Amino acid sequence: MRKKVNSFLLRIILLILGLIVVYPFIWMLSSSFKNNSEINALKQTLLPKVFTLNNYLNMNEHFDFVRFFINSILVAVTVTIIVAYTSTICGYVLCKYKFKGRKLLFGFILATMMIPWCVIIIPKYSMMKVFGWMDSYKAIIIPAMFSGFGIFMMKQNSENIPDEIIEAAKIDGANALQIFHRIIFPMSRNGIASISIFQFLWTWDDFLWPYLVIQSKDKQLLSVGLRMFNGQYATDYGALFAATAISIIPVLVIYMIFQKQFIAGIAASAVKG
Amino acid sequence: MRSKMKYFLTVAMIFVTLSTGCGRTKESNSVKVDVPTKPFGSTIVYDPAKEINDGKKITIELWEWGSDETFQKLIDGYTSIHPNVTIKLVSNPWDDYWTKLPLALQDKNGPVIFNIHNSYHENIINYCAPYEISVEDLEKDFNDIKPHVKDGKVYYIDFGIMTGSVYYNKAMWKAAGLADNDIPKTWDEFRNVAKKLTIKDGKHIVQAGINFNTEFYQTYLLGLNYQLGQNLFSENGKTATINTPAMKKVMNMLLDIYNVDGSGSKDFGTSGSESFGQGQSAMTLMWGHYKETLQNDYPDIDYGVFEIPSFDEKPYAYNRYNGESTFGINKNSSKEAQAVAQDVIKYFLANDEILKEFNLARCTFPTKKSLTDDSDILAHPAMSVLAEHIDRYIWPGPMPAVVEESLKIAGQDIMYNGSDIETALQKAENSINEELKSSDFTAVENLYKYAKQKK
Amino acid sequence: MLNKNHPLQSKSEVILRNIVVTAMIIYFIVFLIIPIGTAFVGSFHEWNPLSGTFRLLGLDNYRKIFTDNLFWKSLSNTIVFSFVVIIFRVGFGLAIALAIYSKMIKHKSFFRMLYYMPVVTPMVAVAYVWKFMYHPQIGTMNQIFGLNVNWLMNSKMALPAIMLMTIWKDFGYAVVMFMAGLYSLPKDAMEAADVDGASPWQKFRYITIPLLKPMILFVVITSIIAYIQAYVQVLILTEGGPGTSTFLSSYIIFDEAFVKYNFGFASAMSFIMFVVTAVLTWLSFRVTRSKG
Repeated sequence: MRKKVNSFLLRIILLILGLIVVYPFIWMLSSSFKNNSEINALKQTLLPKVFTLNNYLNMNEHFDFVRFFINSILVAVTVTIIVAYTSTICGYVLCKYKFKGRKLLFGFILATMMIPWCVIIIPKYSMMKVFGWMDSYKAIIIPAMFSGFGIFMMKQNSENIPDEIIEAAKIDGANALQIFHRIIFPMSRNGIASISIFQFLWTWDDFLWPYLVIQSKDKQLLSVGLRMFNGQYATDYGALFAATAISIIPVLVIYMIFQKQFIAGIAASAVKG
Repeated sequence: MRSKMKYFLTVAMIFVTLSTGCGRTKESNSVKVDVPTKPFGSTIVYDPAKEINDGKKITIELWEWGSDETFQKLIDGYTSIHPNVTIKLVSNPWDDYWTKLPLALQDKNGPVIFNIHNSYHENIINYCAPYEISVEDLEKDFNDIKPHVKDGKVYYIDFGIMTGSVYYNKAMWKAAGLADNDIPKTWDEFRNVAKKLTIKDGKHIVQAGINFNTEFYQTYLLGLNYQLGQNLFSENGKTATINTPAMKKVMNMLLDIYNVDGSGSKDFGTSGSESFGQGQSAMTLMWGHYKETLQNDYPDIDYGVFEIPSFDEKPYAYNRYNGESTFGINKNSSKEAQAVAQDVIKYFLANDEILKEFNLARCTFPTKKSLTDDSDILAHPAMSVLAEHIDRYIWPGPMPAVVEESLKIAGQDIMYNGSDIETALQKAENSINEELKSSDFTAVENLYKYAKQKK
Repeated sequence: MLNKNHPLQSKSEVILRNIVVTAMIIYFIVFLIIPIGTAFVGSFHEWNPLSGTFRLLGLDNYRKIFTDNLFWKSLSNTIVFSFVVIIFRVGFGLAIALAIYSKMIKHKSFFRMLYYMPVVTPMVAVAYVWKFMYHPQIGTMNQIFGLNVNWLMNSKMALPAIMLMTIWKDFGYAVVMFMAGLYSLPKDAMEAADVDGASPWQKFRYITIPLLKPMILFVVITSIIAYIQAYVQVLILTEGGPGTSTFLSSYIIFDEAFVKYNFGFASAMSFIMFVVTAVLTWLSFRVTRSKG
């Protein structure tokens, strides 16, 4: 009996906390169906008094939301795929192949995670100009091809793969690349799921770098677009909320699909950090 | 079945006609430009018959920060004469514009023409190519050219000057029992009006008489000092004089309006512009560009404009003004592109109609001599209030952004952080002067027409 | 270089290894070592890309930092900000992860989803929503709780308001990380404790916490790195105000670099931040080790 009460209480607490967490979302979503005079009114209500879809329908009037959205998806997916692949292969090599300087290299990779963006952003910026990559997605994708965090996680993840499996494949005559693609890669799917979600999130959320390197409006990404939008039409809150609501969806969907693998992947790698 | 088909076809037909019809009217609206064929202008004359870029196709970029419509009119007007030229309009919000423009200008592919604001003069000037039009010709057609001449050349000029005026909500004005002849002339009268316009529910303000949150440093601190005969910069124009009795008097008046009169509150509304637009504040002192904000964001507000009040009837100057600049030409872009840009500038400066359009859109008073007594300009409420004393406004020069930035911090420290006025102003003065050391800025307050009358 | 005795080293593996290691090294040299080197050299120069200045100053930039009150104020803001947010992030994260993990709760994935939602929302978007919620008259914060606080323009409330938003946005990350940690705990340890009749508190104190320690350390360190670099919140919510109450180091660096174009001075400040990050990371390693 006591257990039941406890369980009930705990569930209530979690639900209340959950409500606090989602309240801003509910508020934002509901505001996105209000017209601007209601959003700006002194007397506020949670639900719209006059329900309107105009914010969604007119979103593209002020800024090219659909385009920003597609750009963002394109860039984030590309970066995520590349990083997932490079992290897995680098992590695998660092874990299973022995060579001199391996520990040093791994230690160095760990250290790179500690470098604040502000240290390298200025020279990196100058570099992009020298390379002529300004205002092109090269500037976003190429410098992000390897991730210290990803390599670290996938190295830990590879520890769980028994050497015997690799040995057996070798005896069957598979070469290193075949082993990696046919055995290691599928076996690392949990780790890949978690690094993919992290990477997608970071790229989707990154603001400063695309803000600096992308100039043309038609190439701009969503996170920067949201700010530009606010800078220019400071008070079209309705459209801003509508745009934000839509911009959350892709990440949420991806997270929902891969949630299990995501957690299993973290469990398999970072814990032994 | 057949009738259904017929019905469907009719509806479809109507729909098609409607949509194409709408499309057509829209198009004809935007291309409704009379293409001039004869030369026009005063001293600076533009000849539309002259071909540009040998009639070959060329595309250039024009950057600006958010009056898309007026710029599009300029572009449409120009390209109707020269259909071989395509001008791509790129617009960025104000903050982003100044982060990105200097970086973009280092590239060959950066914008060829870009809108300039003189507060960012130093970041931009090194990338500008001089105008081909001679200084003498410019001076014949425009006022206030002198401060822009650098080594005998001009890189940009002002097409109009902007300053602050008071915007008031007409409905609230009426509701408070005020009439047209209640428009205040002095700050004392102004404060009385503000009190009448304030509505409270117990202790809480429901409607503020006046709101200057956020913008106070631009509109009051940097400007009202002139009414008291106090310049912002020293005689040689190289150091700032912020910690002065005049500035303290202005600051004290702001505090009194909120704390003694109770005609508003530092905590009521995040900014004057927003609160006025939301219909929660009855008055706000704003610069000319506010008209555009009201038009874009708060089209429902019915407002009037009156001239900034003064401390006494005959101030040394009513307020500071700032020029709205013409465009810069990127010296790093190709020769052909620069030639087009020079031609666009000439078209712009010779064209009274488009200059008028720009001045009306920004609420700036034209610098072009042929426009100063133009009836359309004087018919405009925000401009007519300026016309009478237009020579009583003073330009301190292209102040670097640090001046506003430091006074913003000083003012917020005083209003919100309980810092005392003396310390905060001194701190602002120090940090401005620290920046000015490594700057080429020299104030031009001495070029003001009545500079000798300073108290 | 080659260890011939090791079983995992065939010819194709050597090739794969060499390609991967070379690619990694080239990448890290080009995109990390060279930029860091450039920034380090630049921090001793007056470096303005707009005027094209690159003039040797020696230690002047660093000297200027040490006398710059605003920098130290922002640094202390940054440290307070990071400390508070990390404490709550780890504390909330751990408590909620344990609650969801416990046998009493069904629909675990629903709760995980719920708490993770703010994490996946772009910071820019979140900041605008919260800015509106903090509005003194029409904001949700004051409306719901019947308060009359000017959150973002009150020198006492502005930084906590930014912290609150950051905690709200980020603690879900810790929940998920700790859940992952809990799932990978060895089951036999718990069962043994159950047989010995250990109380829940004892189990928590003597089994869960020690086993979760690496994960806690991981969350703390990634948080330190992230929060020392935080600035988007400030950029959107307060722009450093009121006065200079909410200046964070990274915000100053952004301002110096991309508003004023003092690249040299900004680089020097960045290096100080680098040192601070390194010291704090080292400290958290020390603290966890000494406790165990």
